[in-house]
Amino acid sequence: MRSLFKLAILFSVPISLIISIFLGRYPVNPGEAVRAILSIATPHLVHSPPETVKTIVVLYRLPRVLAAAITGAALAVTGASLQSILRNPLVDTYILGISAGAGFGAALAIAFLPPVPIEFVAFLGALMAFFITFSIAMLWGKGSVIAIVLSGVIVNALFQAGLSLVKYLCPDPYKLATVTFWLMGSIGAAAFWNKVLRMGIVVTLCAVLLYSIRWRLDILSLGDEEAVALGASPIKERAMVVAVCAMAVATIVCYTGIIGWVGLLIPHIVRLTVGADNRDVLPYSMLLGASFMVVADDLARCLTSTEIPIGILTTVMVAPFYVYLLKRSAGVWR
Amino acid sequence: MRVVVKVDGLRYAYPAGVKALEDVSFDLHEGEILTLLGPNGSGKTTILKCLLRILKPFGAVYIDGERRWDCLKQRELAKFFGYVPQAHYPTFPYRVRDYIAMGRAPYHGMLSLPSKVEYMRVEEVAKMLDIEELLDRTVAELSGGQLQMVLIARTLVQEAKVLLLDEPTAHLDVSNAVKVLDAIREIIKKGIVKAAVMTLHDPTLTALYSDKVALVKDGRVVAYGCPEKVLKSDLLNSIYGVSFDVFKRENRLIVLPLGTK
Repeated sequence: MRSLFKLAILFSVPISLIISIFLGRYPVNPGEAVRAILSIATPHLVHSPPETVKTIVVLYRLPRVLAAAITGAALAVTGASLQSILRNPLVDTYILGISAGAGFGAALAIAFLPPVPIEFVAFLGALMAFFITFSIAMLWGKGSVIAIVLSGVIVNALFQAGLSLVKYLCPDPYKLATVTFWLMGSIGAAAFWNKVLRMGIVVTLCAVLLYSIRWRLDILSLGDEEAVALGASPIKERAMVVAVCAMAVATIVCYTGIIGWVGLLIPHIVRLTVGADNRDVLPYSMLLGASFMVVADDLARCLTSTEIPIGILTTVMVAPFYVYLLKRSAGVWR
Repeated sequence: MRVVVKVDGLRYAYPAGVKALEDVSFDLHEGEILTLLGPNGSGKTTILKCLLRILKPFGAVYIDGERRWDCLKQRELAKFFGYVPQAHYPTFPYRVRDYIAMGRAPYHGMLSLPSKVEYMRVEEVAKMLDIEELLDRTVAELSGGQLQMVLIARTLVQEAKVLLLDEPTAHLDVSNAVKVLDAIREIIKKGIVKAAVMTLHDPTLTALYSDKVALVKDGRVVAYGCPEKVLKSDLLNSIYGVSFDVFKRENRLIVLPLGTK
């Protein structure tokens, strides 16, 4: 059963990627799409498709699909890692204050700093929020699990307040609408090759780091006392994992805005289907996160004539899963 | 018999300033089960955590001859002491096979994984403890007694020299409690581990399964020695405020609590 699920998750990625390239307002048939991609790699070998198709596939669809995949993979793999080291299946990486920090930064940029790129200020906001969370947890909470979670909650609340203040002071209703739309998340803003490249490099680096300590995450998930008794240094190692996850998600969130619930739910589904061991949870969360986000983004751009914010879609898609999980566990976490 | 662990004058106070241990000393000899017996909050678990350096006390512990335990890396100490915490289900439902294999952590850095050979060791240990049929279940499906055996298996895979068990019989019915204690005695008799320190709440089981007993009250070792010497009705009465009937039958020491008077 487990290997069947593994196979299904494995195949979901290429299938969702390929189908997504054909989907969209402008009809592109599969043959043309493949030729368009090939014509970039080997300009002289294939009969080149029309210029419009080439532009749409190579400059719009491909980076967008890749951005969605990278976003989903990053949110899921960091969510899984953080759940392990914080011993809590109900957290995602946003618990570190990153989302509120990015939201505050983005709102500030949109409302009051027009010439400065939004993603730059959002990234600074995310990093600043994480840095405050981390400092409080390490200096006054001795790096314990509860300290990280509590200071994350506090910093989230603080930056939410800052965000509200910026919205309140913002004089221009059009800008206010832009802030609101940004907060609901969109892959569209990240769908450019230079951004995809930046996201790809940072996320790959972080994912490789997390994957290389996948068994250690199991040990840390046993709790500090048992981890020490097994020769680990939980406080130091936890701090490292937290920093790596924060880096990955800060890079993502500053381009895409806040896309909720993916980092929380995808690892859950993986644990239910392929088992709890992080040697499986990490890679399969990445894969399932990628294909889930690609499909969610397909729905966001194809369902109606205007784009639906993807944060709304992921939440709506995930809610039924939660009800199912609740039913399955009969109200008890096991 | 050779001294495996020598505990010399442990003192510990919790960060809030509450004194938890005062001048705790005892020797653990090869082949022995030492039981720490005492009321709730007397400091039994604190002693175990100090041995493991989960807590950092004053005083000294000498392991395996004359090495001070605070001169060792945590990883080296983890190859000596095997910790069986009070049984609790882990947050994530790992497969039993993988859960036991986590005992190999002290032999790995952050980046390496347990090998096939190490997983074969898991199977051998499981066979020895007669829990082979549990290997492919998840930890969440285990009963309390099974979980306790799995935790013991983890320390054996760890190749620990001395086991430290925190209330191995807590929440277990009599048959499971006896099964677990028999298993502990068996692995010491076979020489798989050299000795064990455990905390218990039941004076009757303590009398049946201990080679040495340390009575702990208010962070001090009030009495230490073989069960016949330590488990006396007046001593136990002074610690628990309960009167006991202590007698021998068929060469076994029986300790019966009678009631508060």
